[in-house]
Amino acid sequence: MEKFITKDNLYRLAEELAATCRVLAPVADCGTVTFRRFQPGMVLDLHSRMAAVSPKAATFPQTETLLVVKREIPEKKPEIIETLPEGKNVVLGCRPCGARGKLIFDPVYETDKIKDPYYLQRRRNTVFISLACDRPETTCFCHSVGSGPADPSGSDVLLTLVGEGYVARSVTPEGEEIMKLALFSDAGDKGKEADAKNAKAREMMGEAHDYASAPAKLLARFDDMDFWLAQSAKCISCGACTYMCPTCYCFNITDDDLGLSSQRIRTWDNCMSHTFTLEGSGHNPRSTKAHRLKNRVGHKFSYYPDLHKGVIACCGCGRCIKQCPTGVDIRQIVKAAQEYAE
Amino acid sequence: MNANPYLPDMATIVEVIQETHNIKTFRIVLNNEQRMKDFTFRPGQVGQLSVFGVGESTFVINSSPTRKDYLQFSVMRVGEVTSRLHQLQPGDQIGVRAPLGNSFPVEDLKGKNIVFVGGGIGMAPLRTLFTYMLDNRKDYKDITLLYGARSPADLTYKAELPEWTSRKDVNTVLTIDNPSEGWEHKVGLIPNVLLEINPKPKNTVAITCGPPIMIKFTLQALKKLGFEDQNIITTLEKRMKCGVGICGRCNIGTKYVCIDGPVFTYAQLKELPSEL
Amino acid sequence: MSQLDDLKTAIKSRLGELECVIGWEQGYDPLHATPLFIRSEADLDRLIIGPLAVHNLATYLTGWKGKKVGVVVKGCDSRSVIELMNEKLVSRDDVVIFGLCCDGVVSQRKIRAALPADPGFVESVEIGADSLKVTVAGQAATLRLADVQADKCLVCDTPDAIVSDFLIGKAHTPAPAPSLKCQDEFEAKSDAEKFAFWQETMGRCIRCYACRNACPMCVCRDYCIATSRDPLWVSQENLPSENMMFQMIHVSHLAGRCTECGECERACPVDIPLMLLRRYMNKQVRDVFKHEAGKALDQTPPLLTFKVEEERINERGW
Repeated sequence: MEKFITKDNLYRLAEELAATCRVLAPVADCGTVTFRRFQPGMVLDLHSRMAAVSPKAATFPQTETLLVVKREIPEKKPEIIETLPEGKNVVLGCRPCGARGKLIFDPVYETDKIKDPYYLQRRRNTVFISLACDRPETTCFCHSVGSGPADPSGSDVLLTLVGEGYVARSVTPEGEEIMKLALFSDAGDKGKEADAKNAKAREMMGEAHDYASAPAKLLARFDDMDFWLAQSAKCISCGACTYMCPTCYCFNITDDDLGLSSQRIRTWDNCMSHTFTLEGSGHNPRSTKAHRLKNRVGHKFSYYPDLHKGVIACCGCGRCIKQCPTGVDIRQIVKAAQEYAE
Repeated sequence: MNANPYLPDMATIVEVIQETHNIKTFRIVLNNEQRMKDFTFRPGQVGQLSVFGVGESTFVINSSPTRKDYLQFSVMRVGEVTSRLHQLQPGDQIGVRAPLGNSFPVEDLKGKNIVFVGGGIGMAPLRTLFTYMLDNRKDYKDITLLYGARSPADLTYKAELPEWTSRKDVNTVLTIDNPSEGWEHKVGLIPNVLLEINPKPKNTVAITCGPPIMIKFTLQALKKLGFEDQNIITTLEKRMKCGVGICGRCNIGTKYVCIDGPVFTYAQLKELPSEL
Repeated sequence: MSQLDDLKTAIKSRLGELECVIGWEQGYDPLHATPLFIRSEADLDRLIIGPLAVHNLATYLTGWKGKKVGVVVKGCDSRSVIELMNEKLVSRDDVVIFGLCCDGVVSQRKIRAALPADPGFVESVEIGADSLKVTVAGQAATLRLADVQADKCLVCDTPDAIVSDFLIGKAHTPAPAPSLKCQDEFEAKSDAEKFAFWQETMGRCIRCYACRNACPMCVCRDYCIATSRDPLWVSQENLPSENMMFQMIHVSHLAGRCTECGECERACPVDIPLMLLRRYMNKQVRDVFKHEAGKALDQTPPLLTFKVEEERINERGW
């Protein structure tokens, strides 16, 4: 289905949806752009830049309570209470790369044997209304990882800015339902303009880099610690890259004692941190940042593709590059492994 | 396992045994009687024990699935969760998320000679398979158990060792590192005693578990004795959180120790990147 | 001979005896530099300096313990090196310091505010003596360096490296502003306003610890008290209260040690103005102990020592 929605009506759509759902939209936030829970009256910032954070918090929040244990005064035995998420969510105005991130989560969080009910509950109750990009940033490389500035996969509705509004295209039945609202009007022949814009954006990105040889080439460098020491020299082992990444899905599980009750929470975790693989005995298989960077890059461009039909666990959004305090560039690292002369 | 893989079952500790100065064995029963009756697992599988408000930790279920009165876990006190576990008494409540991981290939081991080589707390995963095989004795040919520790005090399952050493249908050899007064069994490092025992590799599978340094030299000894890589089995330890292959931390290359392991053959380990 | 040429000559003269020399090179786009680890003369060709060279390279020094390395430092960076040496975390004998006389560095945040389009769309940059000509999304804009300088440069009284083996460039007579407008304005707010501000701002924090790891003085990183489970000081839960608690821990641990290099604020991926807290804390340290971190070698940070009677603390005069 193809329709058109004016900028004003898009804002009204946000207000209407906010009445029944949690709407996450990009807002200007003290000089940066982040996703905040939309309240009527907020000013949206859809166009100045891609949001600094990814919209993955909609399906995978930074903190999520898995269960609560209540300990009543001695008579009653402690009780475990499951705390599954409730409600519906809408992400409005993310970019295709951000919406695509959850496609990397899906085969991990739902397999034949194991289903993660917290993730699946949010996943099935979140609609993504994405905005195609007009031009790439210097750090964008979605075209090299099987995507592009107007890639619909992962979105329910894809918008393209044309004049004072957006051409809207439905991608899923859920998207179509939203587009049936009266706020959307006939697209006329604006569709052609949208196509031209999308094509122009893709053209501006230039030639895609071929990562096909990356899985094997990265494994070939596994024992080459000199390579990884050089690649990781400027890394400060923080976690900005991981937390900003739409496809990074690792988490930690910790308990908080709250007196007569306790909560078990899951929070984003980051494989670049020292304690990520620290064992009780004190042994740490990834004791240096070189080992940890090797695992992060290896997981995204080698292990995950090997396990999941060649899909790279990266959406090419470039946040890890521009948010890195020291400018570590994952594109350079993978390229160096691919071009390494034996 | 619950449909929600993160939800533990509430369980009661029925017995606590002090094995060594820092190892305790816990025998636990799930509070839900039906679930306890229906609970099944295979030797080698692990479980996560929860001390609510503190955290969860992974331990092998070291009782045999043939003995269902309780589930047994042996815990070495090394950190936050294990320290709190060690403070618990019979009657206390804990959470259990089990069974997790893969198991020893008990079907493939049928009709074979088995050599167990265990060091210290490494006896825990071996115990589950050892007792399982004793309960299904006719399915296996010669069974040898070589179990060693630094000193007599560091041996676990002391109450069961007399039975294991006196049984005629298994060859149990105990060893300690240095001579000790009153010690009636062997003295010597495990790999050296293994070479003395000289098990023949033909139709034999070796199963070993223990501290990394012991595994390293035991593997060398097994190779010297002519054991092939696919006939050497071990179980790995890793920091685990979800235990179901999602949280992303226990991987070695493409394999996740919580779902593709913790039981691996040496042949499988050799194919993985070297990140133990 | 330019400052860069002099610097390269100096580095070349010592490169052979060092594991590496840490400097900067062009980064992932024309508006960014990135740290460079120079091990050969070929590496040396990539070295750059200038207003884009914002990174405080002193933060890497503790990772090279036991090895002899060289590091290129601006005036502010040299304060971090001094502080590390005063705390005996780095040995003077293990570091060859290539000090620069610095003309100031940029703030990417200010550049973003001054450009007609987001700097992510930058196409080219020409660095002039006191201006930056930036072409972004097809539009050209000339920015005065003075307008997009980092906050720390406006109040900097140590533009030239304080300690060095080589001091390169034209010496400055510093003329710093007495204080920063943004700091004064914030401190003038009421307690309720300040609280509301941090409540809102810490809601953005994702606890990535980029601030902690970028800080040259934060050496506990792998064993940080904020990630300790036993004792548990801060929950992993991403609440503004827990996030603020982490900042309180960080700021307290920096008392008397923070050299105001500003890396924490620069590193923050969601632009939290962390320096508001640290500058205020440093003011208290100046008042109570008359001390500024990293200004001279062989000084002991006031909270790493004990005096029976403190000059400026009235303990017994109730």
